[in-house]
Amino acid sequence: MARDERIAELEEKARRIRAHVVRIAGMSDCHTGGSLSIADMLAGLYFHTLRVDPGLPGWEGRDYFILSKGHCVPALDAALAMRGFFPEDALTTHLQLDSIISGHACARVTPGIDVSTGSLGHGLSIGVGLALGVRMDGAANRVFVMIGDGELQEGSNWEAAMAGAHHKLEGLVAIVDRNMYQTGPTEEMMALEPLADKWRAFGWATRVIDGHDMAQIVETLDALPFEKGRPSAIVSRTEKGHGVSMSIHQHMNRFDEAQTATMLAELGQGGGEGGRN
Amino acid sequence: MAKWFGDVLVELARQDPRICGVSCDCWGFLGALAAAFPERAVEIGIAEQNLIGVAAGLAARGKTPFAIGMNPFVTMRCFEQIRTDVGYGCRNVKVVGGYGGGIGYAGWGCTHHAMEEMALMRLVPTMTVVMPADAYETEMATRAAATTEGPFYISLSGATMAFMPPEARRTFHVGKAVTLREGSDVTIVAVGPTLPDAMTAAEILTRKGVSARVLNMHTVKPADREAILAAARQTRLIVTIEEHTVIGGLGGAVGEVLAEAGAGTPLKRLGLQDVFACMVGRYEDVRERFGISANAVVEAVMRQA
Ligand SMILES: Cc1ncc(C[n+]2csc(CCOP(=O)(O)OP(=O)(O)O)c2C)c(N)n1
Repeated sequence: MARDERIAELEEKARRIRAHVVRIAGMSDCHTGGSLSIADMLAGLYFHTLRVDPGLPGWEGRDYFILSKGHCVPALDAALAMRGFFPEDALTTHLQLDSIISGHACARVTPGIDVSTGSLGHGLSIGVGLALGVRMDGAANRVFVMIGDGELQEGSNWEAAMAGAHHKLEGLVAIVDRNMYQTGPTEEMMALEPLADKWRAFGWATRVIDGHDMAQIVETLDALPFEKGRPSAIVSRTEKGHGVSMSIHQHMNRFDEAQTATMLAELGQGGGEGGRN
Repeated sequence: MAKWFGDVLVELARQDPRICGVSCDCWGFLGALAAAFPERAVEIGIAEQNLIGVAAGLAARGKTPFAIGMNPFVTMRCFEQIRTDVGYGCRNVKVVGGYGGGIGYAGWGCTHHAMEEMALMRLVPTMTVVMPADAYETEMATRAAATTEGPFYISLSGATMAFMPPEARRTFHVGKAVTLREGSDVTIVAVGPTLPDAMTAAEILTRKGVSARVLNMHTVKPADREAILAAARQTRLIVTIEEHTVIGGLGGAVGEVLAEAGAGTPLKRLGLQDVFACMVGRYEDVRERFGISANAVVEAVMRQA
């Protein structure tokens, strides 16, 4: 019972993240598809799993989260705001002069972001370095890196994957947002399958889950690390644009006022500011 | 840009069977080629290093590949492949930056600023570096790349469609700057997206009684020595303006020519002054704050006057 409530609560967080993404797309161009596909995982991470302190973003004991697919920062910004790193109102200033809400993840302007990303294929190597540093300190911080499936075509990811396993970085977690699209269909442009087998072959303890099933997300995150002495990989099977009909398989959207309202209504998040909690 | 470039590429491909295209998630540029010659258009995925290595391999087999990616990534991520497999290998590869020239991405973040594309590409021995200003120059640069043996970089910035005045369109020669406006007091040298700033500044300066020449330095390498030295002799100040770090790009190229010739004419380089243009805001906001605007040119000139 308590667990079901918890899941329902996290699902509601995910809906709110999606609503924020839709509102941002109502203000400016927005990488909607890949932001919406990670909303559930981000809700699970920021409201269930990650040890972070919004009052002290630089807290040494924090778990690190790197959004390697940095173009999907609208969803991350929403999660950070909802978690209390900055007011949710700030999200309405996306791309405005001197806003803290950037078009790609920017550690210099946005509280709670540790690593600036946007150029694909950087996050996992930095994650390996962070995890090695944590181990040198004898500390227990965990490092989560969210990677796009298209992004995995960059060879740097596989260099990092090799290093993560070689150095037995048990605290390192790669989450692949397997939404099957980049700017076009991934398997047609440069196929990745068999993807889970690739991670296994590189020495990662790997699980494939439904990235829109909150119960599975929670159960998976609770099971980390999956194996002793190995980094963990989660292939999170998702739908690009999930939950917002006009964003399905879309890389970017810009909604007008009417479209924004319709998409918010789809999410059951219509009406003004979408409520605050 | 994608369409103009794509259409010219197909035409060139009809004339020359060696021409082919490789894309790294920039398929929009190769759609037309793929429709006409499916086997001569290759998608490589989001993998710039592989893109250039594969292009070098195609060139090693006698092909003339156009390798297309986004400006910041297709120059930075695979710089060593460009330098070694294309430059050192003397391979006939045409690298094309299709999206995101200069600081076109502005408030979307510094990861997407191609603020060193010209500098990096200039560093590669034998590489020709061109930044077309509009559709006409895009077409001409693409033709030139196809017919010139050797490494070539074309930066399609996309920022200044249909900009050039018609009379200036009649000539385009690699390595020859285009005089967009005659002037006798100062010379403003611009490239790609900063040409409109240069033209606007020249107009404002005229009203202030300063006669400004405007040079479109579409070929940053080899830089037009003759045009630069003529400007040095005939005008009292040279201002360069670029959406790029002032180190090693347009300002750097002009400065090298001036210094080596002992010209002595003062040079003011506008562009990113060894900083990241890190801020959120619109394109115009970012340019204004980092001194890449018509106003900045006018100020630089008036300060020297
Ligand atoms: C190094 C690099 N090359 C190209 C791009 C341009 N780009 C931005 S997003 C994108 C597609 C990413 O696909 P994927 O990783 O699957 O992300 P998602 O579909 O989840 O948005 C591309 C090619 C980039 N940001 N960085």
